[in-house]
Amino acid sequence: MGILEMKHISKAFSGVYANEDIDLSVNKGEIHALLGENGAGKTTLMNILFGIYSADGGEIVWKGRPVHFSSPKDAIAEGIGMVHQHFSLVNRMSVLDNVILGLKSGKLFLDRKAAKQKLIDLAQKYGLDVDPDARINTLSVGQQQRVEILKALYRNVELLILDEPTGVLTPSETEHFFDVLRTLKKEGYAVIIITHRMSEIMSISDRVTILRDGKKVKDLVTAKTNPEELSYFMIGRQLGGGYEDRKPAGKDNALVLKDVTIKKSRKTPQLDHIDLEVRKGEILGIAGVDGNGQKELAEVIAGIRKPTSGTLEFMGGDITSDKVKARFKKGISYISDDRHADGLVLDMSLADNMILRQYDEYPYSKAGFFNKRWIKDLSMDAIKDYRIKTSGKSTSDTIVKLMSGGNQQKIILAREITDKANLIIANQPTRGLDIGATEFVRKALMEQRNLGKSVLLISADLEEIMQLSDRVAVMFSGKIMGILEHDDITLQKLGLLMGGIAKEEEQP
Amino acid sequence: MKTKKHLLDILWIVIIAVAATTLMMILCKASPLEAYQMFFNGIFGNLSSFCEVFVKATPLILTGLGCAVAFRTGFFNIGAEGQFYVGAIAAAMVALNLTGVPGPARIVLSMLAGFICGGVWALIAAIFKAKFGISEIIVTIMLNYIAINFLGIAVRTFLMDPEGTVPQSARIESSSALGLLMPPTRLNAGIIIAVAAVIIVWILMEKTKVGYEIKVVGFNKRAAKCNGISVMKNIVVSAFLSGGLAGLAGVIEVIGIQKKLLEGISSDCGYTAVLIALIASNNPIGVLIAAVGFAAMQVGANSMQRQMGIPSAIVNILIGLVVLLILGRKIFRLSFFRKKAKN
Repeated sequence: MGILEMKHISKAFSGVYANEDIDLSVNKGEIHALLGENGAGKTTLMNILFGIYSADGGEIVWKGRPVHFSSPKDAIAEGIGMVHQHFSLVNRMSVLDNVILGLKSGKLFLDRKAAKQKLIDLAQKYGLDVDPDARINTLSVGQQQRVEILKALYRNVELLILDEPTGVLTPSETEHFFDVLRTLKKEGYAVIIITHRMSEIMSISDRVTILRDGKKVKDLVTAKTNPEELSYFMIGRQLGGGYEDRKPAGKDNALVLKDVTIKKSRKTPQLDHIDLEVRKGEILGIAGVDGNGQKELAEVIAGIRKPTSGTLEFMGGDITSDKVKARFKKGISYISDDRHADGLVLDMSLADNMILRQYDEYPYSKAGFFNKRWIKDLSMDAIKDYRIKTSGKSTSDTIVKLMSGGNQQKIILAREITDKANLIIANQPTRGLDIGATEFVRKALMEQRNLGKSVLLISADLEEIMQLSDRVAVMFSGKIMGILEHDDITLQKLGLLMGGIAKEEEQP
Repeated sequence: MKTKKHLLDILWIVIIAVAATTLMMILCKASPLEAYQMFFNGIFGNLSSFCEVFVKATPLILTGLGCAVAFRTGFFNIGAEGQFYVGAIAAAMVALNLTGVPGPARIVLSMLAGFICGGVWALIAAIFKAKFGISEIIVTIMLNYIAINFLGIAVRTFLMDPEGTVPQSARIESSSALGLLMPPTRLNAGIIIAVAAVIIVWILMEKTKVGYEIKVVGFNKRAAKCNGISVMKNIVVSAFLSGGLAGLAGVIEVIGIQKKLLEGISSDCGYTAVLIALIASNNPIGVLIAAVGFAAMQVGANSMQRQMGIPSAIVNILIGLVVLLILGRKIFRLSFFRKKAKN
């Protein structure tokens, strides 16, 4: 009998099961991996355990007795801690204050000195080095994660839930993080780690529970399985191929960036002297840990940001001083990583979002007045061609907010992939999408490539980068660390570059 | 399903509003039945009072429309009151001073002057917001004080009727005043201008790229920027349009109703306008309906006061209550559903 037993857990959101009859058992001193694709129900299950959602059915047995948590506070009080994908830290407060935030001491005044000592001891014991007096916003993402773990340990948890903990870490940070987990395991903590990365599961976990489409598919002992078996159970079918059929990439450049820099006041530059060429008929992948200048690169090309210095050339002409609209007209399309903020107006209809780029051009509008019938036809074509699911009767009048992420992304694709689009900047185009939608997006980008168009694919998903790219440039801290040719791309080389270690041959 | 919910909401709001009003009437020691009769009599009793509803609605429509246009871009113009005053002053100056210009042309000129001055008054707030990041709510309120008190000075100095003793301007010649539609009622061409404004603004918002840009900026400034729509330009455009409409309301009050400039000329319609835009969800047609509804309530309450001595303040309480109920209807639906679920 494990320290935690979840039995027959079910949870539905507006009639659709996110969790259906799921069992999960975790032992003391065990690292238990929860594996599944996006939307498989991993996070929902953990949110139920942590008291964020309450289950529609099923039972949670914690340390031998049935429990029901109505809030995270209850769960923490019982010894269950969770580190979310998006941290819940107060940026302007110190590490120490974040750790003791919300704790009741029963005294009128805080005993910061004792708290600090306890924190330092904990940090030392588990190798979670961090300065207690540092302000959160001065810390790296990896350090912030340590603070989150310290926060949980400080509250004497016995079970630690980690939701996609390595997504934000470099390979070397991940190694260090795994060492911490191993120490915790030795000390008898139970750890649940949510992930979809096979390699991590193989190297860190003791057992694996695999979810698919809201159901539990399989319990496996890590030592007795292999990545192929895991991926078989996770996906339930072979990984989609079809990316091998490539026409040879062109030799001519579509886009040339020369010495492009974005630097604000005295801070470190967001883009640091970038020289980059995107050829016609190729997909140039941009790999890197989130926040190393990828978004700035995309926006400087789309015309949303101005470079502090440097020039951009597109199809042979200088576009440095062109604004967003002028660049779109010349054939630069942009699929943003944040479709809710950048790419769509959620409160408007599908049709209104379809025309966001060219609403002021003929035949969209004439003398300022919209050509509603033409716009309707355009939208209906997009719905058909991209198989966009809208709500029954309203079709092109469906408010975008009410649509699923995959369908929202398809609207952006339909709008951005036009006949005249010569370069498509795709920033995290499949983030948060289910398998079907992901494959749809990848195929669409591949198709454009084979039509001789250029694609700049920015992605933190290395599998996606390796599958699609003709060449891969790796960004680190606003710089291009190196460019790998298709046949030269390996996980190890990417990993080193992403961690800021330049190619060996370039070192003196 | 959705309309059913809406109807249910409206039913509840009406029930609560009527109950509260009845209670207040009883507090005033009046027979509620008789009071209601006077209330409706005041609105529908005769042609003159029925027309009065539309006279009162005219400035509410225009200022409400102004607020709605500004709110659409997320520019919280609380300054319709001040813009109304500025428009009124401009109209009086044109109508009284440009005596060489023929009447109809003077009417057009005063409307133009009022619109532009009101627009510029709102533009000041837009520029403060754009250049210095100062909240337009604060700036427009401050500009209200300036405009209201400047009118006070104007009617005591350079615009004061040289032959009069009270602080108000000379009477505007009938040739440069708006014509009456149905004498002897006070209904004038102003209502036509107001309804035309509703239609124009509706077309602008729904059918043209100007309105589209304004809406995109209002819903999502970041998406506007990423797709090459200037946030600044649209805030400026909507602020000017908003102030212009409020200014036009001031013009009509001067050359259509009062025929002179005097203090307190707005009857606070610039503040009521904010509520009207809110209730109408910034929809031009909704503004028209809400403004007429507000005006009817005021006319009815005035009749109640005249006939029975019930303070017309009741209607202000009622308006406050109704606005709260409309804005808070979701909470109220929630608790209602909970009760229903238990049964």
